[in-house]
Amino acid sequence: MARNWQPDFERLVDEHQSMVFSLAWRMTADRGLAEEIAQDVFLELDTHMARIESPEHALFWLRRVTMSRSTDALRRRRVRGVDLWIEIEENHSASSEERSSPLGARLEQLLTTLPEPQRAALVLRYQEDLTPEEIAATLESPLATVKSNLQRGLKLIRAKAECNLKEYLRPGKALGGAHADG
Amino acid sequence: MDEPKPINERDPANGMNDFESKLQQAFVRRPAPPGLKRRILDQRNRRRTARFHSRVVLWQRLAACFVLAAALGGAYTWRHVEEQRKGQAARDQVLTALRITNHALNEVKARLAARNQDE
Repeated sequence: MARNWQPDFERLVDEHQSMVFSLAWRMTADRGLAEEIAQDVFLELDTHMARIESPEHALFWLRRVTMSRSTDALRRRRVRGVDLWIEIEENHSASSEERSSPLGARLEQLLTTLPEPQRAALVLRYQEDLTPEEIAATLESPLATVKSNLQRGLKLIRAKAECNLKEYLRPGKALGGAHADG
Repeated sequence: MDEPKPINERDPANGMNDFESKLQQAFVRRPAPPGLKRRILDQRNRRRTARFHSRVVLWQRLAACFVLAAALGGAYTWRHVEEQRKGQAARDQVLTALRITNHALNEVKARLAARNQDE
């Protein structure tokens, strides 16, 4: 089946542009940069089309390259000395009209304050609904590291939510345990 | 305005607690910006055109290199052949000169021999 599959670039762009853009945006918290990353990822896909064997392979490849490009972009920013966190605050406050719900928007904002590996793990877990094994394959990281990042990230974002999103918490109730490792 | 829901309740249906469900809802895929696909396709076409032009230039350079190499090789061969031809001509001239000299010496020798006989 996979052998007979002929990749259609335009169709792949149609199907996956939202996924690629969302991953890049959540990783970089910068809409412009996310668009650039999405363009670069698809142009790189164009040069690798001959090696794409199936739709699943294309999806996996796009996720992996998007995460890698986003990480590179964040690293380049750090090298340039840009204060990323200030930019993130600005970018997120500027995009308030695109927020789906106040809680969702604030959770997204809290996500941007997490360390990069934890952010990557959480985005792949909760945006893409991947298992820790799939996340490990996508990020090319050991499974134990991914599980640890998921648990720590979830714990951290939960703690931040407790501090910052008090209006969404039922008073006097303890928080439930994390189930990030599926 | 709706009252905000608590985020720490466990949802037994999907194995996630409510906080994780909220995360999942918050992290839905965002729609790609309008025009992203068009920009990608435009850039792809530009890159392909640029790649095509660079290939044409590469082939042109290769052809120019080939013509230059052929000209240099031809010139070298022509010079080599010309030198051989000139060398052959010079040798022929030397041989002719030697033959003439030999002939003249033979004549002188014959005359001397005839004079000696007369004496």
